[in-house]
Amino acid sequence: MSCWYNNPAPEGDIAVSTRIRLARNINGYPFPARMSAAQRQEVNAKIKDVIDNNSSSNLKYIDMAAVPENERFSMVERHIASREFVLNPQNKAIIISDDETVSIMIGEEDHIRIQVVLPGFQLENAYKIADDIDNMLCGALDIAFDSELGYLTECPTNLGTGLRASVMLHLPVSEQTGEMLRLTESVNKIGFTVRGMYGEGSNAAGSLYQISNQITLGISEKNAIDNLKIIADRIIGKERELQKSLNKIKTEDICMRALGTLKSARILSSSELITLISRVKLGINKGVISDNINPIKILIEGQPYMLMKTHGTMTDEERDIYRAQTVREALS
Amino acid sequence: MLCEKCQKNTATTHIRSVVNGKKTERYLCAECAQKEGISAFSDAGLGDMLASMFGDALALNPSGAQARCNCCGSTFADISKTGKAGCPECYKTFYNDFLPYLKRVHGSVKHIGKASKAANADCKPADNLAALKAELAELVKAEKFEQAAQIRDKIKEMEANL
Repeated sequence: MSCWYNNPAPEGDIAVSTRIRLARNINGYPFPARMSAAQRQEVNAKIKDVIDNNSSSNLKYIDMAAVPENERFSMVERHIASREFVLNPQNKAIIISDDETVSIMIGEEDHIRIQVVLPGFQLENAYKIADDIDNMLCGALDIAFDSELGYLTECPTNLGTGLRASVMLHLPVSEQTGEMLRLTESVNKIGFTVRGMYGEGSNAAGSLYQISNQITLGISEKNAIDNLKIIADRIIGKERELQKSLNKIKTEDICMRALGTLKSARILSSSELITLISRVKLGINKGVISDNINPIKILIEGQPYMLMKTHGTMTDEERDIYRAQTVREALS
Repeated sequence: MLCEKCQKNTATTHIRSVVNGKKTERYLCAECAQKEGISAFSDAGLGDMLASMFGDALALNPSGAQARCNCCGSTFADISKTGKAGCPECYKTFYNDFLPYLKRVHGSVKHIGKASKAANADCKPADNLAALKAELAELVKAEKFEQAAQIRDKIKEMEANL
C-alpha cells in the first residue's frame, strides 16, 4: 500500500515529516461535542456531496463506523487520524487521498479537520495542498468565519487561521547533549511548542520531536509557516553540526549493534524497536548503514495496530514475535 | 455492557456516587457521560488548563450570567468550564466575554490571513459600550488609572448620547 512515508523525504536526514492542519466549521450546527447523531449525519452528507461532485479529486469518503478496529487504530499510527477521533467512530467519517497524504476528519473536535502529511521538511508544499483542498471543499459550504476572529473553532486557541503547522524531527544528539532542553525553552518563548512524538511526558522515545505553532489569531498563515521554517531550519542545522562532531568509532559501534539486534531479534517490543530504529537512522546519516533502508517505514509498520490490521488481533507476546519477524524481513 | 441511558453504545464510564448515605451506580457511554458533564480523566488535564485561563474573563462576564447562546443554549459559564465554545454563534453572543481570554492566549484579537469567501455577519457588536466597560475593568485591575480615566470618559460620552 502506498503511504506518505514511502515517498522521498527532503532534508530527510533529520526531518521525518511535515504536517499541516486546518480547522473549519459549518454555520448553523453546534460543534461536534454537542451534536446529535442526526446532526452529525447531516454534516457528513453535506461534505460527502461536495467530494462526490468533484470528479477531479482522488479523495475517498469512508464511514468510520464501518472500519474494523485494527484498521481504525492503525490510522493513528500512520498519523492520518487522531486517537480521540478513532476511539469512538459512531457518526464520524474520514476522507483520504490515494497515498494518504490528505486526510479530512469529519466530526473530530471541529466539523472539518483538513490534514496534509508529507515526508521530510516541506512546509510550503504541504500548506499549498491543504489550501487547495480548503478552497475546493469549503468554497462549497457555509463556513463559520468572522472578519475579526477568523475561522470559528470549538477551541478558542485555534481561532483565526485554524492552522496548526508542525515538523517532526529526529534529534538524537541534541537530546543527548542537553541542547534540546535549551531549545525547547527558547522555542516556547516565541509561541511554538516542542513535544515528544512517542512516549509520555517529557520522555521522547526514539528522539523524535514535534515542533508546532501555537498562535493562530493575529498572524497570517504565511508568517506562521515562515516562522516555523526558520526555527526548524536552525534546529536541523544544529543537530547536523552535533552529529558531525560525534566520535566516529563509538557512534559506528552503537549504530551497528542496533542494526545487528534488529536483524537477529526473535522477540521485539515497540519500545525496543523505536530505540534501535533511532540509532539505525543515525547510522544512515553517518554513512555506516545503507540508505536503502527506510527506518521510518519500518518504525510505523512495526506499530501494534499496523501489524494487527494485516495479521489479525494478537496478544502482546505474539505481536512482539511477529514484529521481530517483519523487521527481520524488511532488513534482509 | 450497553449504556443504560441510550441503550446503544458500549458503556465506558462507571459513576459511583454516595448521596446522604445512599449509594448509586451508573454505567454510561462516552457520549451520554459527556452530555451529563462527566468527562474522562484523560482529557481533564488540558480542559482544566484551558478553563483556568478563562478565570478572569468569567469574573467580568459583560453579557451577564443569564445570557444564553441562541443556537446551542450555552451560557458563558458553560464555556469557561470546558474552555470550549458550543457552536460558532457563541462567539457572536459572547464576543466581549471572550476578548480578555483571547488577548491572553493569542496576544491579538484581530484575524490576519486567509478570509473565507462566504464570510458571515461580524461577531463584533456594532455598539462597543460593553467592550469599553470590560476594558475599563481590566485597566482598573491592572492599576493603569490614566488609561482607565480616558476609557471612563469615552463611556460617559457614549452613554450621554444614548
